[in-house]
Amino acid sequence: MGTQKKIKVLIAKPGLDGHDRGAKVVSLALKDAGMEVIYSGLHRTIDQIVNIAIQEDVDVIGLSIMTGAHIPITQRLFQKIREKGIGNKTVFVGGVIPSRDIPKLKEMGVSGVFPGGTPLAETIKFLQSTMLKR
Amino acid sequence: MELVKKVLQGDEGSAARLISMIEEGLDEGYEAVSLIFPYTGKAHVIGVTGGPGAGKSTLINRLAASYGRQGEKVGVIAVDPTSAKSDGAFLGDRVRMKDAERVKGIFIRSMAHRGFPGGIAKATLGAAYVLEGLGKKVIFVESVGAGQTEMQVSTICDSVITVLTPDYGDEIQLMKAGLIEIGDIVVMNKMDRTGAAEAAEDIALHLAGRKDNDWQIPVLTIQANKGEGIEKLIATLDLHRRHMRDDAQGKFVRKERMKRLVLALFKEEAWGTLLNEVRAKEGFAGIMGKLQNREIDPYRAVRMILKLALPKKERKTARRSKRA
Ligand SMILES: Nc1nc2c(ncn2[C@@H]2O[C@H](COP(=O)(O)OP(=O)(O)O)[C@@H](O)[C@H]2O)c(=O)[nH]1
Ligand SMILES: [Mg+2]
Repeated sequence: MGTQKKIKVLIAKPGLDGHDRGAKVVSLALKDAGMEVIYSGLHRTIDQIVNIAIQEDVDVIGLSIMTGAHIPITQRLFQKIREKGIGNKTVFVGGVIPSRDIPKLKEMGVSGVFPGGTPLAETIKFLQSTMLKR
Repeated sequence: MELVKKVLQGDEGSAARLISMIEEGLDEGYEAVSLIFPYTGKAHVIGVTGGPGAGKSTLINRLAASYGRQGEKVGVIAVDPTSAKSDGAFLGDRVRMKDAERVKGIFIRSMAHRGFPGGIAKATLGAAYVLEGLGKKVIFVESVGAGQTEMQVSTICDSVITVLTPDYGDEIQLMKAGLIEIGDIVVMNKMDRTGAAEAAEDIALHLAGRKDNDWQIPVLTIQANKGEGIEKLIATLDLHRRHMRDDAQGKFVRKERMKRLVLALFKEEAWGTLLNEVRAKEGFAGIMGKLQNREIDPYRAVRMILKLALPKKERKTARRSKRA
C-alpha cells in the first residue's frame, strides 16, 4: 500500500491497423512493472483516444502504429490534445517507425519513440524516469 | 472547492481528476466526496458481477447503449484486478464497450481494485458519487470477476445482476447450496451455447421457492454479444429499482447494504492503521520471534499482538459492544 502515485498509461491503437500483439505485449510488460494500463482495443480514432485519456485521467498515452501513418496520426493527436487542454500528458510512440522519422515525432512533442524490437525494459525505464521528474 | 463546482457543472476532466484523487486516498479527495454527497442518492446504480469471461463488459456495453438511446445519462465504472505480484493492472474492459462509448454523454472509467476485497476498489463508491455529481442517472459497476463471490459490489449498488453462463456449472451448484450470494437478478448469458436454457431453468426452479425481502429473483436468458434479451432485462431493472425505492422491504435492504459497506470500509482502514501502529511498537518483534521459535502458538501470538495494539480499556468496551 504505497502512497506513491501509480503511473497510469493508455495504450492505444489508432487507425486501420489490425495487429495488436505488440500493443498487448507492451501493456502486459508495463503492468508487470507495476503500472496501471488501460488498453483501448483496435481501430480507434484520435477523438476517441483523447476522450479515453481524459476520462481515465492517465499520465501517459502510448500509441502503437504499424501502418506507416505515424506522422499524420501523431500530428492529429497533438492538435486534439491542445484543443482539449490536456498538454500535461506524456506521449510515446511505438510500432513500425523508421529512424529518420524520430526527430520529426519528437519535434511534434513526442517524449519517447520505441520502434519494434526495442527492449521492453527500455520503455519501462523511460516511463519511470519521466514520471519521477514530474 | 473549485474542483467540486466544476464536477457539478459537468466538467469531465475535473471528474476524472477527482476520481484519481480518491483512488490515491488524498484527504482533498475525501473532502470533495463529502461536498458531492448531498447531491447523490437518486441515480440507479447497477452492479454487474460474475466470473471471468461471463460477458459482464459485453452486457454493460449493450445496456449502456440502450439506456443512452432512451436519453439517459450513463456512467460506467469497470473494476479489474490488481496483480498481487507487481501491483500493476491490465484494464481491458473498454475494449468491449465500443457501442456504449458512442452514446452521447457517457463516461467510462476503468479502475484497478488495488487489493480491496469483495470485487470492487475502495474508490469505487466515491467514483460513483462523482459520476452522479457529474449528472449521470444510470451508473454501472462491473466487478472484478475473479471467479469467487464478489458481493461487496451489492453494498454500493441498488440492483445487482449476476451473470452466469452454461459453463459455470460449479457456480450454479454453489448458488443452489446457498454458499454464494445471488444478487437481485440472475442472467444466463450466452444462450447461443448448448445447455443455456436448461441451466437457466434449473436455477429458476431452485429460486422459485424463496423470496428475498419480498423480491422474487428473476432468471433471464440473454445473448449479450447480439443484444438479445436486453430490453426485457431493462424492464426488470426498472421493476427492481422501484422495489428498492418504494417498498418497505426494499428500503430496508438499502439501509442494510449501506451499513455493511461502511463496516467493510472501516475494516480496511482500521486494519491498515492498526497494523502500522502495532508493527512500530516495542514487543512486536519479540512476539514474532517467540512464535517463529515455536515458544508460543499462533493463537496466543495473535492475542498478544491484539493486547499490544489495543490498550486494555478500549478492548473491554469493544467486547461489550459486540455482545450488545
Ligand atoms: N457466444 C457468446 N459469446 C459471448 C456472449 N456474450 C459475450 N460473449 C463473449 O464472451 C467473451 C467475454 O466477454 P466479456 O464481456 O469480456 O466478459 P467479462 O470478463 O465478464 O467482462 C467475449 O469474447 C465476448 O464476445 C454471448 O451471449 N454469446
Ligand atoms: Mg470485463
